[in-house]
Amino acid sequence: MPDELVRAESVTKVFRTRAGEVRAVDDVSLTVHRGETLGLVGESGSGKSTMARLMMGLQTPTSGRVEFDGQDLNKLPARELRTLRPRMQMVFQNPYGSLLPHFSAIGNVMEPLRLHERGDKESRRTKALELLDLVGINTGHAELYPRQFSGGQQQRIAIARALALEPDLLVCDEPTSSLDVSIQAQILELFTDLRDRLGLSFLFISHNLAVVERLADRVAVMNKGQLVEESTTEALFRAPQDDYTRQLLSAVLPIRQDSGLS
Amino acid sequence: MSEDALLSVRELRTTFRRDGAEPLTAVDGVSFDVRRGQALAIVGESGSGKSVTMRSVMGILPRTARITGGQALFGGRDLLAIGDKELRKVRGRDIAMVFQSAMEAMNPTLTLERQLTEHLLWHGLCTKAEAKKRAVRALGDVGIPDPEKRIRTYPFQLSGGMRQRAMIAMAMVTEPALLIADEPTTAVDVTVQRQILDLLAELKNRGTGVIMITHDLGVARYFCDDAVVMYAGRVVERAPMDRLLDDPRHPYSVGLLGSGVEVGGRDLPLRPIPGSPPDLSHRPEGCPFHPRCARAELPRCATEQETLTIGPGRDAACWKVAVDA
Repeated sequence: MPDELVRAESVTKVFRTRAGEVRAVDDVSLTVHRGETLGLVGESGSGKSTMARLMMGLQTPTSGRVEFDGQDLNKLPARELRTLRPRMQMVFQNPYGSLLPHFSAIGNVMEPLRLHERGDKESRRTKALELLDLVGINTGHAELYPRQFSGGQQQRIAIARALALEPDLLVCDEPTSSLDVSIQAQILELFTDLRDRLGLSFLFISHNLAVVERLADRVAVMNKGQLVEESTTEALFRAPQDDYTRQLLSAVLPIRQDSGLS
Repeated sequence: MSEDALLSVRELRTTFRRDGAEPLTAVDGVSFDVRRGQALAIVGESGSGKSVTMRSVMGILPRTARITGGQALFGGRDLLAIGDKELRKVRGRDIAMVFQSAMEAMNPTLTLERQLTEHLLWHGLCTKAEAKKRAVRALGDVGIPDPEKRIRTYPFQLSGGMRQRAMIAMAMVTEPALLIADEPTTAVDVTVQRQILDLLAELKNRGTGVIMITHDLGVARYFCDDAVVMYAGRVVERAPMDRLLDDPRHPYSVGLLGSGVEVGGRDLPLRPIPGSPPDLSHRPEGCPFHPRCARAELPRCATEQETLTIGPGRDAACWKVAVDA
């Protein structure tokens, strides 16, 4: 069994718009290995979110292929794709926008279990409570609605929901970008803890280089739809090879005087 | 009020009316000074009252808000007392604002020309022909290529970075004495961020005082000279920018610094502040930070909050800092 969990091979995605064709992703190959966290960085419009959707099989590439655990996502019949779906889950930038507003916290976490017909109502409740506890939500608040929680707590609920089906891969698209600094640190700690405890693989997308440096084992840099550099986190931050990567790194403004940058 | 202050805010208090409940105090006794040619950072998380503070000074609060106390001295006049008619003469001419999102701050149905000349013409500062000339020059100054042509375009025809520049040009065109920038680089890419800050620095060099509202400590360090840290509607620490970041004193400032991640800090331990900022309708008594504070000592921290001077231009709203000294 190869240790490759998801593999994108020469993937290209062209969107047709009124302004003509846009090559959002242009001949990109990326692999996420089992138990690994791959960071994907780039500025807005670089194609990183499109790449994430392609790797989840949520969009079909114009050319190239995406394999999840050895199976081609775009050739698989819908029924078999449905059995793969629970194994890859997503966490989004805006937690409130991604939760069902008319479902309680526990209702949101139970929903994927119901959709995939796991257990009975009672066991789903028990499981959802365990998950809420795991991500640090007071289970006494399980019946509250998303709007009654703060942004950081909403993101914890969204993470609990993403974990409900025990996925192998968690794709996180800017999961801390809408959170305040002190809350961002809490969520980063939660991700680190989950990775260590559950052995999850992550595709972690962010424009925040510091966040990616902290979490990722390897980092891929995208610019204008193309992959410009891919390397271990340490090497990429210590000795970036590509001009664009260097430009990104030099644009970072240090906070502390004694930070690694100055 | 210190003699070289451009704007002096003293004991500002702003409340919001609520149905069937006591008014909510969003800003609770905030004071600070902004000097000519200097930038003051107002640092804090969402709900800390940074934006309400600035909106109070500018007189652009929502209808449900009321200023219940304090002064904002600008050019010898109290902006909170002069009334809307007089304030309008100041706004856009002497004090300009730059917002986080140019897409939302600019009028999508008007060309850049209309929007850039509006303040000049409304305040009767020059003729229409002269206004256009100044608008074109301002666009050129912020690095928009081919300004004579671009001035005829609409905001949606510009990229995000260019739109942000156009908004800055709009704020600069009247050569204001004071610029209030509310998260001016949060919505732009990092490679554009520094260009925007360097543009604003240009303004600072010409003597404009700047208040920058930001949650990005890297941006604050790069651009600002002084800082105030806000928490739950109060100023908890005031310090020269570098001193705040290299040697924070208030436990909340210490926590904020410990929570911030930065490139090169991979091996530094992450020290998040537990809990979340208080809901203003349930603001804790005494120091509003005490329920999250590792150093809190009861009952004193839950009953009083005292501001101590800890050095030149530095104070902190925590009696514990006296113990550290």
